[in-house]
Amino acid sequence: MSSVTTPAVALEHVSYRYPGTQAGVTDITLEISPGVGPSGCGKTTLLRLIAGFIKPDAGAIRLNGEDVSALPTRSRECGVVFQAYALFPHMRVRENVAYPLRVREVAADERRRRAADMLELVGLTGLSDRLPAQLSGGQQQRVALARALVFGPRALLLDEPLSALDAATRAAMRDEIRRIQRAQNIATLLITHDQDEALSLADRIVLLNEGRFVQSGSPHEIYDRPADAFVAGFVGRANLLDARVIDAQTIDTLIGRLTTPPHGRAAGSALRVLVRPERIEVASAANGATGENVFAAKVLRDRFFGATRQLEIAAGNGRLEIETAMRDDVTQLRVPREAIQFLNAR
Amino acid sequence: MFLRWVTAAYLVYLVVPIALLLVGSFGELWLNTLLPTGSTTQWYVDVAKDPSFRRAFAASLAVVAITCTACVAIGLPLAYALFHTESRRLRALVRVLYQLPVALPPLVLAFGFILVFSSDTLPWLGSIWLLAAGHVVLTLPYFLQAVVADMQRLGLRVLEDAAESLGSSGWQRFMHIVLPALRHSILAGLIIVAALSIGEFQFSNLVAGFLSRTYPVVLLQAFYGATGFACAATVILLALAMVAAVGGALTAGGATRMNAAAA
Repeated sequence: MSSVTTPAVALEHVSYRYPGTQAGVTDITLEISPGVGPSGCGKTTLLRLIAGFIKPDAGAIRLNGEDVSALPTRSRECGVVFQAYALFPHMRVRENVAYPLRVREVAADERRRRAADMLELVGLTGLSDRLPAQLSGGQQQRVALARALVFGPRALLLDEPLSALDAATRAAMRDEIRRIQRAQNIATLLITHDQDEALSLADRIVLLNEGRFVQSGSPHEIYDRPADAFVAGFVGRANLLDARVIDAQTIDTLIGRLTTPPHGRAAGSALRVLVRPERIEVASAANGATGENVFAAKVLRDRFFGATRQLEIAAGNGRLEIETAMRDDVTQLRVPREAIQFLNAR
Repeated sequence: MFLRWVTAAYLVYLVVPIALLLVGSFGELWLNTLLPTGSTTQWYVDVAKDPSFRRAFAASLAVVAITCTACVAIGLPLAYALFHTESRRLRALVRVLYQLPVALPPLVLAFGFILVFSSDTLPWLGSIWLLAAGHVVLTLPYFLQAVVADMQRLGLRVLEDAAESLGSSGWQRFMHIVLPALRHSILAGLIIVAALSIGEFQFSNLVAGFLSRTYPVVLLQAFYGATGFACAATVILLALAMVAAVGGALTAGGATRMNAAAA
């Protein structure tokens, strides 16, 4: 058995090219410990590599410390939930869930008991005699989850598990997956292109772009301290401003001159700053904003979402996206000093 | 409303000849009248007693059985391999190859068979196995078509990936997933194969030996005799085709069900 610090899933400098194409992943190194889940792009390839459907051109894949790069898929003991669930259409729900036990030649009695337990965990006890075609998308998803977990896999791999569901089911399933994953305490890799899904589900996010590692960290780190403009723009909405350094705490942007936290860069150098739309404060004519970084604002577009409004605003010679709960007409805006983050120019 | 009329007209066109056959087979005498005069079941008795018809009946059943078995034995692995071929070009090539018999008249195939199998090295012309071999060539495209289409529709590849990730070996995947998931299309394919094989005339007429003549080949002779006899013999072929189709379907369905249950 592996030591406590051994990650359940580890990739070391893994590369893969689809034969005859430029597509694939390049030099990916990542670790998933129990209860950790990354997300990103180049992503399904990563999952197929870990599950063993494809073999890496370079690098090693470890499960609980064991190098499984040479093992066939069926010996890797990864529970995979496919995008379209891939339930066996001719088997009833309980047969689907018991299938991994059947091929492991578990006795029929125990098979039935463990499948029933797993169906209870995912909340489908009453539906065990149905065929997959008689289930809703969310229910099929639960069956796929139960089937992937029933044999006690080393890791759970979820490929865009929520993408085929409607919005209402998706939110419920998101919590459900989190609950089940916690209950089983199993290392889980969740592949998604949906930033909300990644932020709300994951303990750790790994962001890939064009098959390459970009950044990893907790959802808070990814959102609040993005490594570059790509991450900032991908996770959440972002105002990215090109700027020129005036002095230690002042920069010039298209919006106007901004007072910032100390940035430690030389006067005259170029940099890029990020301001999240929800961090910008707005004010109406009635209660004008005061203090530093205050600018006159002209609303170009106003989209109402009930709880919030998303505004596109012209200020100085630039434009800003702003998210606010205020209902009054916006005439002024203030960029709080602490809302300004510095990015590596890319 | 127009569509309904077209459908009705087509159905009449389809059913009337069969209905007339039925009427004729029970008619005593049918010369220059609209409908036959008198009624009898004697024609069926005559057909049943006729030794050449009895032999042809048995030959046809044997050919259908061999053809259906061979179609599954050859077609299923072939369809599976074809479905899993990565190379698009190879897939297209094989597709053209196995579809060729559909475009080719059975006559051409028959001449080929006669050329090859009447030689001293391969003197098999006239054997029932050779006849069935020809039927396999003629019917396999339809079987493959049905099965490959179903593999694509089911997304069989993903199902197999799933089974593999759950610990299933190649053989287990085939027995537990591929075969049972495809049972409907295997069944449908076999119905087509059985129906085509039973009714096949062009190829059988040229290749069958005197003792291995199939039912349709012998049936042609009947039309030189009494109308009632010919009608009765044809109705039997019709029934035979339907029985073979349904029987083949049931056997195949039962076999896959048993596989799924046993494994």
